[in-house]
Order: sequence, then structure tokens, then C-alpha cells
Amino acid sequence: MRTDELIAILAGDATPTPPGRARQRLLLACLAGVLGAAALVFGSHILPAKHDFSTVILTAPFWMKPAYAAWLAVGAFMLVDAMGRPGAKADAGRLVGAAAFAAIAGLAAVNLALTAPDNRMHAIMGSSWWFCPIAIVISAIPALIAVMIALRAMAPTRLVRAGLAAGLLAGGVGASIYALWCRETTAAFVAVWYTLGIVACGGVGALLGPLVLRW
Amino acid sequence: MPAAIVSCNERRGHGVLAKDRGVSEEGRLKALMLRGLDGDASAHGELLTLMSRYLRGYFGRRLGAATADTEDLVQDTLLTIHLKRETYDPAQPFTPWAYMLARYKLLDHFRKDRARTMVPLEDAGVLLAVENTEEGAVRRDLGKLLSGLPPRQSQLLRDVKLTGLSMEEAAAKSGMSVSAVKVSIHRGLKTMAKKVRDADR
Repeated sequence: MRTDELIAILAGDATPTPPGRARQRLLLACLAGVLGAAALVFGSHILPAKHDFSTVILTAPFWMKPAYAAWLAVGAFMLVDAMGRPGAKADAGRLVGAAAFAAIAGLAAVNLALTAPDNRMHAIMGSSWWFCPIAIVISAIPALIAVMIALRAMAPTRLVRAGLAAGLLAGGVGASIYALWCRETTAAFVAVWYTLGIVACGGVGALLGPLVLRW
Repeated sequence: MPAAIVSCNERRGHGVLAKDRGVSEEGRLKALMLRGLDGDASAHGELLTLMSRYLRGYFGRRLGAATADTEDLVQDTLLTIHLKRETYDPAQPFTPWAYMLARYKLLDHFRKDRARTMVPLEDAGVLLAVENTEEGAVRRDLGKLLSGLPPRQSQLLRDVKLTGLSMEEAAAKSGMSVSAVKVSIHRGLKTMAKKVRDADR
């Protein structure tokens, strides 16, 4: 085919293209991830029913955990959106994510300073430290699949970074839902083990990126 | 050693020129892109025509004499600019967006060729550095690509492109609505893009 013929065909195909469409698909992928994680955490009977929600729903620690994870997810969302747009700057997303971590780290530091020295270790390790990162990675699987599909439909050009961002977003989404089940109450626990779980999701995403994001 | 310094200076001079040229050209390309996104077919066509010259220069300089590959890459990138245009953020400049797409296609080409060639991340201005209007030979045959499509899609693409019918005429001929014709042609183009990719694999 001659190039000018191709151009004529493509020009004839110039339907109006609203710039927000890709972002909507990404948002939809996150929603699918939320539903998938909710099904895994609350619907699958893998985890025993644990909370009496009526007693915890008004407490600050109950909301601190999903708030941190969701805040990270917002930063990761901006990162993923930038990664899907060739040449876009990803600084804003990084800043939002870093601010979330700074907030929980600050809260954890204050929290630990106010805790008796003998109890500090327990405040950090809680009673589910080994379980939490694993549960977050598993909760993130539906979001990871959905976000990867949505990102691949955009135009990621740096596949490791794009996969990392997608993994962080999936981790944030998965952790937001897992947090509703989790019984831990200290900021120190969240700052360490939630962060570790979400970063592990990012690592999985970075490994998968070059394999699944090529278009 | 002195030779390296000379070539380094030349390159720097070249880059400055490209930058000056890029400032005005960026505005022009971006304006065309924005009009194209609004559905202006002539602006979209003009943008792709301009980009085909820049891309031919960009790929040609990096592939040397492999002209068939160059033109394949030009067409592949034009198709990509078209199909991925929703990922262009109107708040951002156009040239870096197009440059990253072209670089991605070039890397993809090298990867498929198993050539162990590095493509350094350059200033986006290099995309606009040289305008090369010469058209190279093309390896791919339109008929072959079209024949793999569903009969209705390939007939529509033939009618609209090769015979030169308008969308309206093609719609009347096929008994479809104009918007259905547009959708069908769009799908056909996507399928063709996929075939081009698979063929390179």
C-alpha cells in the first residue's frame, strides 16, 4: 500500500475522539478490581468472617487503613494514566503517592513515640504481619488483570515502569478492600506491612509489564 | 579522539537547529492534531502527511539503506498515531508524544530483527530535524492485507480507498448507514494493523 493511500484512509476515519476515554476505561478497570477483591475477601470463604462491623465502623483505625491504601491508589492511578500516554510526565502521581507514604509514616512515628517501649514491637508486627502482604497481593489480582488490560489498550512505551505503576495501582485497590477485613489497628503496622504488600504488587507488575503490555 | 569531538559538535549544532525548527512546527502539528481529534478529517490527513515526511527522515537515518523497512515503519507509525490518538493529552505538547510512538515502533522493529542495537533516548526535537520527502519502496501489498478481512470490510475499504467513493456513496452501495460504514472501516483498519504486527513477528 502506498503511504498516501494509507493516509487518505486514516483521514477518512477521523471520528471525534474525546481525550477522557482512556481514563474512563482505567477507572472502570479499578472498579472491576474493587468488586473482584471484595468477592475474594468477603465472598470466597477463604477468610473467616471476622468483623462485627457495627463496633468498628466508627473508629478511626478502621478507616485509616483503606484511606492510606486508597490514597496510594490515587497516586498510582495518575502514574498509570501517564504511563499509558507516550511522553507524558509522571511527576504528579509520584508526588501524591509519596505524600501518602509520608502521612502514614508520620502517623506511625507519632503513634510509636506515644507507645510504651515494651509494646512498640507489637505495634509494628501486630498479629498478622506475615499474612497481610500475602493477602494484599492476592486481593490485588483482579485489579491487576483489569488494569493491565486497560493500560495495554493505551500506548505504554516503557513496559517495566508501566507494569510497576499498574502493579502499585492494583495493590492499592486490593489493599483498600483487604483493609476492611483486617483487624490491625496501628499506623505502624499499616506503614510497614501494607506498604510492603503494595510494593510487592508493584514488583509483580514490573516483571509482568514487558510480557503482557506489549501492543 | 579529535574526530569524536567534531562529530559531537556537529551533533550539538544539529540539535539546536532542530530545536528552533521544532518550536514553530510543534505549534502547527499540535493545532492539526487537536482539530483531528475533533473529527476534522482534512486536518488529520494533513497531520499524517506531515508526519510521514518526518518519520521517513527519522527512520531512514536510523535504518540506513533498508528503505522497505523504513516505509513499513512509517506506515506502521502513522497507523499507530491514528489508532492510539486518544492517548494524546491535549494539555501536553504533540512532538514528544509522536516521538515516543515512533521510538517504540523502532525498538519493536529492532527487537523483531534481533539486531542488538541501542536506541538512545534523545531530545524529542530530533523527530523534526530533517524533512525527507522522498518516498521509498513498500513491501506490503494492499490486496494481500485486504483479502484477509471479512468480505464486507474489505469491500468497503476498497470502495472508499481504491475506487475513491465517499463514505456516503459506499454506504449507499452497501446498503449500510454512513456511521456503520465508518465503524466497519475503522474495524478493518484495526485488523490490518494487527496483521501487519503479526506478519513482523
